[in-house]
Amino acid sequence: MNSASLNAAIAAHRFGLAEASLETVGSDPQGWLLSQIGAADKARGDGLLSTPEAWAHVKAEAEKRKLAKNPPPGMNAEQVLAGHYRDVIVADVRSRFVTAATTQRPFAERLQLFWSNHFTVSLAKGSVRGLVGAFERDAIRPNIAGSFESLLNASTTHPAMLRYLDNAQSAGPHSRAVAFAARRAERMQEGPKLTGLNENLAREILELHTLGAESARNPSARGGYTQADVTSFAAVLTGWRIGPEHSGSELPFDPKWHEPGRKTVLGKSYPEGPEALRMVLYDLARHPATAHFLSTKLARHFVADDPPPELVDRLAATYLRHDGQLGEVYRELVRAPQAWHPQPAKLKTPEEFVISTARMLNLGDRMFERNDGAGVVALGQRPHAAPSPAGWPDRADDWLGPDAVWKRVEWATRAGERVGRTADARAIAAASLGPLLGDESRRQIERAADGPQALALLLMAPEFQRR
Amino acid sequence: MTIDAQRRRLLGATLCAGALSPWASLSFAGNAGADGRRLAVVILRGGMDGLSAVPAVGDPDFAAARGALAQFGAAPLPLDNTFALHPELTQLHAMYGQRELAVVHAVGLPYRERSHFDAQQVLESGGVRPYELSTGWLGRALAHSGAKGIALSTAVPLVLRGPGTIDTWAPSALPDPSAELVMRLERMYGSDAALATALARAKALHLDGAMMAAMEKSDGPAKGATLLAQRAAEFLSQPSGPQAAVLELGGWDTHANQSAPNGALTNNLRTLDTGLAALRDGLVAGGAWKRSIVVVMTEFGREVAINGTQGTDHGTGGAAFVLGGAIKGGRVIADWPGLAKKDRFEGRDLRTTLDMRSVLKGVLSQHLQVASRALDREVFPGSDPVKPLEVA
Repeated sequence: MNSASLNAAIAAHRFGLAEASLETVGSDPQGWLLSQIGAADKARGDGLLSTPEAWAHVKAEAEKRKLAKNPPPGMNAEQVLAGHYRDVIVADVRSRFVTAATTQRPFAERLQLFWSNHFTVSLAKGSVRGLVGAFERDAIRPNIAGSFESLLNASTTHPAMLRYLDNAQSAGPHSRAVAFAARRAERMQEGPKLTGLNENLAREILELHTLGAESARNPSARGGYTQADVTSFAAVLTGWRIGPEHSGSELPFDPKWHEPGRKTVLGKSYPEGPEALRMVLYDLARHPATAHFLSTKLARHFVADDPPPELVDRLAATYLRHDGQLGEVYRELVRAPQAWHPQPAKLKTPEEFVISTARMLNLGDRMFERNDGAGVVALGQRPHAAPSPAGWPDRADDWLGPDAVWKRVEWATRAGERVGRTADARAIAAASLGPLLGDESRRQIERAADGPQALALLLMAPEFQRR
Repeated sequence: MTIDAQRRRLLGATLCAGALSPWASLSFAGNAGADGRRLAVVILRGGMDGLSAVPAVGDPDFAAARGALAQFGAAPLPLDNTFALHPELTQLHAMYGQRELAVVHAVGLPYRERSHFDAQQVLESGGVRPYELSTGWLGRALAHSGAKGIALSTAVPLVLRGPGTIDTWAPSALPDPSAELVMRLERMYGSDAALATALARAKALHLDGAMMAAMEKSDGPAKGATLLAQRAAEFLSQPSGPQAAVLELGGWDTHANQSAPNGALTNNLRTLDTGLAALRDGLVAGGAWKRSIVVVMTEFGREVAINGTQGTDHGTGGAAFVLGGAIKGGRVIADWPGLAKKDRFEGRDLRTTLDMRSVLKGVLSQHLQVASRALDREVFPGSDPVKPLEVA
């Protein structure tokens, strides 16, 4: 076995999204990966809205809602509102697939997918409809290889995140907005609609985006935090909201909603005002617990469900040494021998499975012409719609239920029927997997009854299901 | 309050009964059928607001503690002098009247922090701290007696993971693979045990003609939760089918506008009510309802007070439901701590006065006949002091 071509296959599959031919990787697999480190490609596709455009579209829906209360003759309220977001969501999802299926920098794209999942905003919640694609394009893509602090700032202050985790509605209990709501309620003789904090965003930033849940479990450990930290961080976050008065291009801070006074988070005091958020995020981004949490997630994503602790430590040390510069952490990952173990340990997610199929079969954007997400929904991973703020799981156990595997077999059957008559699965397997392809898989593909079956077997081979 | 005192006594009595009769619940490992008894577990992900689902309308502090959340679109459905059900839970209320529903309140986990993900891990693993156990209590309980389980989802939820065999099922719009393709894949998976196991289980499920025919026959207009509930009932009604099924309903994390007439919580409760009724109807039709218990549980309740955005933030103590033809229903099981601020956990949450493991141990010992030694040591390790609640 030629070790250069084995490493090329590992680079293409473990760090990338599969290539039709390992010649694309060339003779220096590490160099191929290192050269991709940088901002993710600009998203491809038509009808993609920038954040201000997407926000304007959301505001237009609010106008439609008003109209729906008195619908024009011949229309009912539902017809007025129907399909307002359909084209936006379809374009966003197709772009996510097409960009990943056609990029020449698949390692950068994998990192884009990783961070989009780390900072989940999900269509599972109605309030972010029409904003998820813009979030990915504007908050994540440009920031994946800079400092984690920039990425964290971009995510936290994006309209999609502020709405997804309810911060847009959180007000300081002593803010002017709450006082105003109380006076108005008294005048109208009803209960006030707005009275204070919503701690959702504060808690998830600490637990899911920076320090990690481990830190909540050990309040006395380094990086440990308590309910009081969550509450006071929520107070820091008040005022960070986007409303009808915003255009979506300015920093969305409204002092009327901000809780007055200094706040103490993790034992440190922060001033009143919008600057405090930047300061808290600065400290969180540089925290050793954050370094460890992010390094564990990265190593888990690329190397193994339970990554080698020495690899995690190595990445965390690099992270801290370089002040959270993510590009340096990726370089360390690519250089780490533990990342190049020949035996693939990770099972692809459904989305990775579908995208890597498109790339291995050189289908370009063909698979994504029908607006059905290429069947990823049936595989259990509706794009842009993770079930919770924790995002999609990143362990094989979570994708290895019998029904999940059966759905992959069904999906591969359909792909075989659609493409297998004109494709030579044996040649594709050799060109794309190279030395990764084992004897038993090669034998079964060679003995297949026909082209569609051979292709389905290749797609379901352990060597292609894993990476 | 006299009601409280009565509740306290009732609870004490049931705990004693459980504690005094360990011999009655001993059984031999391998007694897979347990007389054809069936268990369904419904996990409500996101933290159901127990005080909205089961408002303590008779608690003198309820109205003040809950503010706007004490108002409902229609009158809550009374259970007793203290408790009522949310007006959307009409079918559950009917089951309560038939003594087929027990409502459990102020129930919670040994875990008292407020992370969804950690709390769900504890709820499903059956441990005390997050991530100390990596398999699920139901998976371990089923493996102990060699019984089968099924998840009505694409992935196996943690609660069912364990040494035994677990099936999963979810609706599909994709073509069936040929038997020949599956056979070749089995050969391919000779050196990949995880893929081989999953494929073998899926094959058994999909190539079982009788089961498929039964499911196609009943293909109705049902959607989402109702469809899954119907399928679960069909699987559980099979004479040699799984002993336990797990269903999941998401979307309970109601931080904002939760009491709106078409708000998330109202819709979720309606879906839950409809889904549980479909599960009951399916089990009745399959002749298994009298041998069945359904447990509805969530990772935590929510803060007692309304938050700043007409919703509720994460809390600890909450509510659970136990229903079925095999339970002693028509009662509220609660050692009610009260809602005054001084009575709340950390001044904010409904205090947990009953360990959810007590409910689950009761169901597993009295219904599925899991031996108490196994319950204390393997299913809920180190839970000896947590006595099984009398449910069946």
